Amino acid sequence: MFEKILFTTTGTPTCDHAAHVAFDLAKKYKSKIYVFHVFGRPTRSFSTLVTDSRTGEESNFDQDYVSWVEEELKNTYANQIKEVPECEIKTLVGVPHTEVLRFARKNDIDLIVMGAHSRQEEPGATRYRAVVGSTMQQVAKRARCPVLVVSRPCTTCLWYFSNIIFGTDFSKASHSAFLFAYKLAKEIGSKLWLFHALDLTSRGGTTLEQKEIEQEIEKAKKRIETEYVSKMKGYDNYEIEVWEGTPFVEVLKYSREKNGDLIVMSHHTREIDLEKALLGSTVEQVVLRASCPVASVNHPDKV
Amino acid sequence: MAEGKLCNRNMINTEEELRTLLADTSGKQYYSEMMDLDVDRDKLKATLDKTLKSRLKTWLEICAHCGLCADSCFIYLANNKDPKQVPSYKIQSTLGQIVKKKGNVDNAFMRMTMDTAWAKCTCCNRCGMYCPFGIDMGVMFGYLRGLCFSQGFVPWEMKIGSGMHRVYRAQMDISTEDWVDTCEWMAEEYEEDYVGLKIPVDKKNANTIYTVNAREPKHYPEDIGEAAALFHIAGEDWTVPSEGWEETSLAMFAGDWEACKLQVQSVYDAIDRLKPKRMVVTECGHAYRATVIEGPYWTGQKSGKPPVESLHYVEWVAEALRTGKLKIDPAKKIKEPVTYQDSCNYIRNAGLGDTAREIMSYIAEDFREMTPCREHNFCCGGGGGLNGIGRYREERNIGLKIKRDQILATGAKLVISPCHNCWDAIRDLEEVYHIGIRWRFLKPILLSMVIIPDHLKPEE
Repeated sequence: MFEKILFTTTGTPTCDHAAHVAFDLAKKYKSKIYVFHVFGRPTRSFSTLVTDSRTGEESNFDQDYVSWVEEELKNTYANQIKEVPECEIKTLVGVPHTEVLRFARKNDIDLIVMGAHSRQEEPGATRYRAVVGSTMQQVAKRARCPVLVVSRPCTTCLWYFSNIIFGTDFSKASHSAFLFAYKLAKEIGSKLWLFHALDLTSRGGTTLEQKEIEQEIEKAKKRIETEYVSKMKGYDNYEIEVWEGTPFVEVLKYSREKNGDLIVMSHHTREIDLEKALLGSTVEQVVLRASCPVASVNHPDKV
Repeated sequence: MAEGKLCNRNMINTEEELRTLLADTSGKQYYSEMMDLDVDRDKLKATLDKTLKSRLKTWLEICAHCGLCADSCFIYLANNKDPKQVPSYKIQSTLGQIVKKKGNVDNAFMRMTMDTAWAKCTCCNRCGMYCPFGIDMGVMFGYLRGLCFSQGFVPWEMKIGSGMHRVYRAQMDISTEDWVDTCEWMAEEYEEDYVGLKIPVDKKNANTIYTVNAREPKHYPEDIGEAAALFHIAGEDWTVPSEGWEETSLAMFAGDWEACKLQVQSVYDAIDRLKPKRMVVTECGHAYRATVIEGPYWTGQKSGKPPVESLHYVEWVAEALRTGKLKIDPAKKIKEPVTYQDSCNYIRNAGLGDTAREIMSYIAEDFREMTPCREHNFCCGGGGGLNGIGRYREERNIGLKIKRDQILATGAKLVISPCHNCWDAIRDLEEVYHIGIRWRFLKPILLSMVIIPDHLKPEE
């Protein structure tokens, strides 16, 4: 299912949950795993002075430092590395999202696993959110393969996933997300919950009457039937649901109700301004608040 | 004559030499070797005899030491008007002395000269506008840097930078393959949002050849994707060369005259090979100066101009807006107060102040000028290579205060900065002084407000 998994890490405990999932997956699917760490962005064009991704401080790197970091990563994940068939540690300097995307493209990666900010009270959380949050945003939007974001402890592992929530907005990207969710559900034998939230927030001031809402909901349910269910040949372990409200809130509520242990969505905001896109997108909000991992899938290439 | 293993008068011409120098973290060994580097006085005198021409000789002679240049220098202002920061003093006490002594100077003097040439002047050329005789200290410092470089007294990063140009024909280690691959990658990504978008590599006889700053393929590839999107929306017939795509010149900052020529020649060769009608260069100030303004002289173009008409990115944008090739959605114009960082290299030194204003009139509702502005604007604080030199970090940060105060006085929290160097300096300024501003290139701003024709929109 996944030949090559790219696990991007800051090498701090914040990424432990993601590490857990990434290594478990590699073990289960006998994948090659790359442990990938970008130290920081270069402060000057080519100098060895970098702004550390974690601390925000300027530091110097050279071959000794690189070896030291790689050794540290090896020690951090020592027990997990033993369990997987092949693990490669890769560290470099650059703009994190650029390097993650470049590496994934070059090495034909099948799945990216990332950590995400989970709790504000953690030391350095604000900075972490700014750097890792925007990296996650860019990577999730642009990667050709599915991106699994893990922000909280995942008590079940991927092959125990029993409830996969697929949230759709009927976009082209959502179709890729569906293909991934369906493939995974079939592979693991889990229940697939096909969900759409009727967006009442973006209607430009007009309010729908209850009757109209109900009509729209019926329409959306039909659409799920024709667009997705028709593609699931003979697979009947699914359920369809459409709710109305603010999409990210509804997805979260639904996932909670159904004990979702994986949410699969697409993430295709066109917003170019990072600051606006960061807080605005549904997927970002879901990632921030969901109690389970979230997979962002936007392209058909790897599903 | 004593020379170091890393710090010497030799040029970097191989990848291996470059790696060895880079492996010396922060240039620790390099600078310690510099303490014992002998001055090759005969060579220095010979260089002076050959290259010091009448203009610079006259300037050094006629300077009346009147001090009118003092207040024009942002570094002087930022350092509490320290008399040692008066431009005429800075150049007379360095180049003036070398000339007077016919090159008979020692190691300590050369080290002092290096620190002055790179940490006390960004070659912004502002002083030249205020000197009653028109003496341009920036030009003289550019020349002085060349003398320092030829003697091996050059900041570590500058030696690396010029070496990069010699080895890769780019300021960073980017191979032709890396560059073409990055173009393909960006075409894949942006084609999704703009139907039919391509990044044509090595297309012959295109209307426009586009050249970039190596930082774009290296760290900010989106910039290339955004450029492609805007060219595509504007219906431009364009191409990028597989070789000769780098328009920047750290060699110019380093004073490595030979590498300056090598670098620019690679761009002109691309023009010769692909025969475009004109060239557009990305949002970079010194690159425009190197490739469009100085380059023709370095490479001996008789016309004093590049082989084809060459536009800075702001000229292309202004033209596209004026002719309606790019149309702005009025509802999406910038509403908040916004200011514009006039880059010394293409505003003061190439006269594109009006062009920048023209663009702002299309995209901003509340445009606030800095004071002073246009050709009188102050350097961002990191020009001339100063941004990139670890040894002068503190000096650079002191200089940033002037730009900080200028931006604060406008009341704008958004700074448009179509120059990589200014963009960096303003970013660093925010990181050092935390004044709560944002900084942007033109491309993302334009893409957020340009009207995309229906046939370029992807189907949903």
